[in-house]
Amino acid sequence: MMDTTAQPERVNGYASALIDVARAEGDAEVFVETFYSVAKTITGNQELRDTLTDPQIPVDRKQGIVSDLLGVRVDGVVVASVNFLVAAGQAKHLDEIASRLAELVAEEEGSVVAEVQSAVALDADQVARLEAALSKATGKRVQAKVVTDSSLMGGLVAKIGDTVFDGSVKSRLDDVREQWG
Amino acid sequence: MLSLLTQALFLFQETEQISHEPEEEVSGIQLLLPHTDELVAGILAFAIIFFFVWKWAVPALNKTLEARQAAIRSEFESAEAAKVEAESLLTDYRDQLSGAKTEAEQIVEEARTAGDQVKADIVARAETEADQIKDRAQDEIAGERDRVAGELRRQVADLSIGVAEKVVGTSLDDEAQRELIDRYIDDLGGVH
Repeated sequence: MMDTTAQPERVNGYASALIDVARAEGDAEVFVETFYSVAKTITGNQELRDTLTDPQIPVDRKQGIVSDLLGVRVDGVVVASVNFLVAAGQAKHLDEIASRLAELVAEEEGSVVAEVQSAVALDADQVARLEAALSKATGKRVQAKVVTDSSLMGGLVAKIGDTVFDGSVKSRLDDVREQWG
Repeated sequence: MLSLLTQALFLFQETEQISHEPEEEVSGIQLLLPHTDELVAGILAFAIIFFFVWKWAVPALNKTLEARQAAIRSEFESAEAAKVEAESLLTDYRDQLSGAKTEAEQIVEEARTAGDQVKADIVARAETEADQIKDRAQDEIAGERDRVAGELRRQVADLSIGVAEKVVGTSLDDEAQRELIDRYIDDLGGVH
């Protein structure tokens, strides 16, 4: 039976293990940053996600795809970590593990993670201002993890826990469609 | 018997005639009156005949007459009885006829009332059904109108938003994207 919803303790366990790996390898922050964006990119691509979660495809084939895609552009430890999760059959939980990993790191620093989807890439200044604005809005220190999603058409969406700050063009148009439909 | 009597009378007359000869001259009233002998013989004959008649003929006649009378009376009585019976029957028939007529009128009246009732019921039912059909048709028309209006609205929305998406997709250059994000970040920081 396929388990599509991640078991919280399992997700938590993998996330904790990845933090330990990151610390063992050195710069934990860079690792988490890289792993997060890789994981979100993979899960944001329907075809890639389906391929990695397909039980019919052999594990070494899946790992070959991951290595080919990430190759030399991404830190080898991150690639190895993703391949490990694919081999462990956790590809379907990649997204949640990445989110939990970011949360764990942020918690250690006394802050929360804002998962941000933006229509275009944000520069450092924008990220800093976004973190400041979200901190003001939530009353907590916020670390923004940004991934690019062109389907938003414009603007961005920030998610902190169950709270969503939606400033995307797509959601505005969806609202209009909802009102008219 | 009668011929015997007649013979006797003739004999007697002859005897008389012989004894009275020679005949005397008669005149006046004597011309009209019979001779005494004849008279006696006549009376005697009459008496004898009367006797026979009275003795047998009259009773027989009376008997016949009485029988006849009885028969007539009987007939009369039976006719009377028949008449009475007929009148009684007639009265009965009249009563029955009258009753039947009343009953017939009553039946006709009841039938008419029932007919009127049925007619009224049919008309009322037809009106109700017509109203229901009309209401249903109106509901269906209203529902269809709403459905079409909703469908049209959705299509218009889809088309408009499709156009808007295309316009936004092409018109949002990097600068506009950046401005959009900056403005949202400012709003987020400012509002809360």
